[in-house]
Amino acid sequence: MPDCKTIDPLVTPYVDGELAETDRRNVDEHVHRCPPCHSRVAAERAVRALIRDHRPALESRSAPPALRARCAEAARSTDARLTAFAKAPAVRRSVFFNLAAWRARAVPFALAASLVVMVGGAFLYQLTDSSARVLAAELTADHMKCFAMNAMLGTHEQPSTVESAMVSGFGWQAHLPQDAARVGLELVGARPCLYGEGKIAHIMYRHEGRPVSVFMLPNAARAQQFVEVLGHEAAIWCVGNRTFVLVAREPRLEVVRLASYVQASLH
Amino acid sequence: MARKGLRAVSPAFEAEALQALDSLYRTALRLTRVPADAEDLVQETYLKAFRSAGQFEPGTNLRAWLFTILHNSARNRARDRARDAVAIDSELVDRAAEQGPGGFSAGGPYETPETLLLRETLAPELQAAIDELPLVFRQAVWLRDVEEFSYAEIAEMLSIPIGTVMSRISRGRHLLFERLNHLRPVNA
Repeated sequence: MPDCKTIDPLVTPYVDGELAETDRRNVDEHVHRCPPCHSRVAAERAVRALIRDHRPALESRSAPPALRARCAEAARSTDARLTAFAKAPAVRRSVFFNLAAWRARAVPFALAASLVVMVGGAFLYQLTDSSARVLAAELTADHMKCFAMNAMLGTHEQPSTVESAMVSGFGWQAHLPQDAARVGLELVGARPCLYGEGKIAHIMYRHEGRPVSVFMLPNAARAQQFVEVLGHEAAIWCVGNRTFVLVAREPRLEVVRLASYVQASLH
Repeated sequence: MARKGLRAVSPAFEAEALQALDSLYRTALRLTRVPADAEDLVQETYLKAFRSAGQFEPGTNLRAWLFTILHNSARNRARDRARDAVAIDSELVDRAAEQGPGGFSAGGPYETPETLLLRETLAPELQAAIDELPLVFRQAVWLRDVEEFSYAEIAEMLSIPIGTVMSRISRGRHLLFERLNHLRPVNA
């Protein structure tokens, strides 16, 4: 009869269904009379099933288009060099090569799009019965506008500086995340701008090269939810009489993580 | 088409190689955990792949071949940065893995309520738990359970014996199990 030590290296291939018949039967027999080994198999099987169940979410993040363009270009530049002798394909390729070059020129824009604008909007927003989707769409448009305007700033400010700007400009005693770097958020700065009939405060961050905006709406209550709009994901939640909306062009998974971090650390 | 000794990258090869882009990028993200580094790594992988396309044996698994290049590139980068500490770390965790399961559920109940509770885990929690795993376990579990490579393919990619592949997958899954169960208080 095989003991636990013999069974040990067989557990993983057993769970993965990779064992030959004899070994499989040995493990079967053993785990049915050995509770610790049974628990091991149960745990490993459960984790394996869990990961497989969540594969669609784990695989939701695609390669950025700019990276795809660069990789495709890698093939063509190799190609162009090696096939300089071949006439017909060279013509076809030069067209593609130009396309790739054009795409490469678009890369700086994509990089500029990496500047994160984290917008803490302290303003009077007349909350109507308009749907969360409309709200998210308006704020997403604002997010893109502000992000485009601030893309070239490249400044760095301390949370305390921005907090005092919030107090003097908007009367909002904001407490910004102090350990934002832990989740890859880098404070860029803050500036006021106009939104509708009120003033809105923009707090800008970079986050691992992706844009994120957080809007704060005073005197508004909304149910917590996630909305996909204009190619962006918006997370909406409420703290006291303030509603927060986080907007980012990121997979929902990332937005959920960012929103839960901001929710926990921005007051 | 090309001169003797030189092989151009055929459009078919390029197209098939680029089909693996999303997978490679996600795997690179799990390896580096930094999007910019992941992008660099993937781009380097394709540059190398297209340059040495002649070395690829038609009929074998192109996707696995690309993953091998990705992991070799990642290893070289780590070496270039002279991160000796990382290498020592990997050895230590490997040895820990080989020591077997130790305290896993020893003496636990025959039926485990934990495995039932585990099903409540949300995708973001799972993703975060995977990202917190030490590199060698993260790599092994990801390649097996998400990218669904065989033990032999993973062994080739990581230049390690198949036995080590299995023990890393095992250890990685158990670490995930423990970590995720800590997120599920019994009386919540």
